Amino acid sequence: MDFPFELLINAVVAGLLLGAFYAAVTAGISISFGMLDIVNIGHPAFIILGSYIAYYFNINYHIDPIVTCLILSPIFYFLGTAIYQVYYLSFEKRGQQSLRGLAFFFGVLFVTEVLLLLAFGVDYRYVATSYIGPSIHVGFVDLPLRMLVPCIGSLILFGGLQLFISHTFTGRAVLAVSQDQLALQLMAVDPIRIKRIAFGVSIAVAAMAGAFLIIIQPVEPSVGREYIGRVFAICVLGGMGSMPGTLIAALLLGVIESITATFYGPSWAPAVSFGVLLLTLAFRPSGILGR
Amino acid sequence: MANSITIENVHAAYGSVRVLEDVTITVNSGETVALLGTNGNGKSTLMKCVMGIVRPVSGRIVAEIDGEKHDLVGRTTEQIVDLGIALVPEGRRLFPKLTVEENLLLGASRRKARAQIKANMDFCFDAFSRLAERRNQLAGSMSGGEQQMLALARALMLSPRILLVDEPSVGLAPLLVSRTIDAIKQLKDHYQLTVLMAEQNFKQAVRIADHGYVIVHGKIAFEGRSAEELNNNDLVRKLYLGM
Repeated sequence: MDFPFELLINAVVAGLLLGAFYAAVTAGISISFGMLDIVNIGHPAFIILGSYIAYYFNINYHIDPIVTCLILSPIFYFLGTAIYQVYYLSFEKRGQQSLRGLAFFFGVLFVTEVLLLLAFGVDYRYVATSYIGPSIHVGFVDLPLRMLVPCIGSLILFGGLQLFISHTFTGRAVLAVSQDQLALQLMAVDPIRIKRIAFGVSIAVAAMAGAFLIIIQPVEPSVGREYIGRVFAICVLGGMGSMPGTLIAALLLGVIESITATFYGPSWAPAVSFGVLLLTLAFRPSGILGR
Repeated sequence: MANSITIENVHAAYGSVRVLEDVTITVNSGETVALLGTNGNGKSTLMKCVMGIVRPVSGRIVAEIDGEKHDLVGRTTEQIVDLGIALVPEGRRLFPKLTVEENLLLGASRRKARAQIKANMDFCFDAFSRLAERRNQLAGSMSGGEQQMLALARALMLSPRILLVDEPSVGLAPLLVSRTIDAIKQLKDHYQLTVLMAEQNFKQAVRIADHGYVIVHGKIAFEGRSAEELNNNDLVRKLYLGM
């Protein structure tokens, strides 16, 4: 029997497209969990919230979800700074962030889900845009625009975040803040301000991921739970706090899932991707690009 | 322009434990002042009081920066650093998982220092050639001596007027101690800094000090107005040489 070469290439390409989207979903976690040590388990809830707001404006005013979420992300930034302030004053300042902080973000996750349920119901919702149906064909490779547009969007988002982290004073302070807060104060930088900004950015990024999510698949209020395990896995696999590592890990996981789903069936995909995570942790505990 | 620190009648405590009692110290513009004393006598606490990390129970700490006077008690650490006072803390406190260059660039976060990043960085790499060789290496992977150089260089990236150095010799081999002390002198001369240095190593500290204080159990036990006065003092002999 001939090896299904075309099938493999298509699976890899589909995996890369999916992986880029995973990267956008993980980017916010990579900042809050990877750089700030804040276990924001509620992150997917903000992504879903972004999806629903994009849905609302798409259905009622025919606005493109990406445009909606671009406008939405500054608002999400301020929402994020406000949530961090509550988290800081209630938990971090008193040194109770590890368990109570986790419970807090679980609460945020459930409250957001329930509010969305009450507002929109349990049905799957989707958006209508010109690029959801068609595909580009390059030789025998299929590039559905529904996947390609979020992929390009994610890569731009990632490039922007990487520039922010590595080339601005605030970005470098974000990298340093979990290592030594007093040392940061001795550099005339207020660590709480840095964390507030970084957390705001992570939530702003969630808005963009929300737009990509609802372009890729229909959304219902608890769909974010599918992503919780996967995003934390990508974050750890890539190396905590490394944006390039996160991107590589997300692409890798996308490709692995896609190949597994194509050749062995979709139900094996999570098992294989978490298997890769376990092996990575066994042989390279700091992740692909961890320091 | 004048850059000085005046510490007047400072008392400090951790809870009910008194650490500093009625400490009065003057660091005049352009001087290097040594704060001498063995472990646990309050040197670091005094440094922390100046930097706003520990709030004194009573007393005044006034810094004069470029001729302008600022009351430091009650300000946050960030505000004090922003005025132009840098501390090289005990234990160095580098960012171990950032590279040498990233550590230095973080030092330049202070607004007034941003315009001088290039000049300051060039000087640091010139003065400490090891740092230039290792600019892309993680700070945590360097030797103790190199880390101390990086900690000094990072403080200089702030373009400070006043430099506080807490126990630069801790954990270093004797040769490195004397090199570190030389480096402080070199940096002081180049940037015309005013320096307050807490140190256990009496001989090394006195080498570059213009004057100094001996602190015992949280009180100033002796003030030496010159290096000779410090050298020829009975108390110093008793404390350091056991005679």
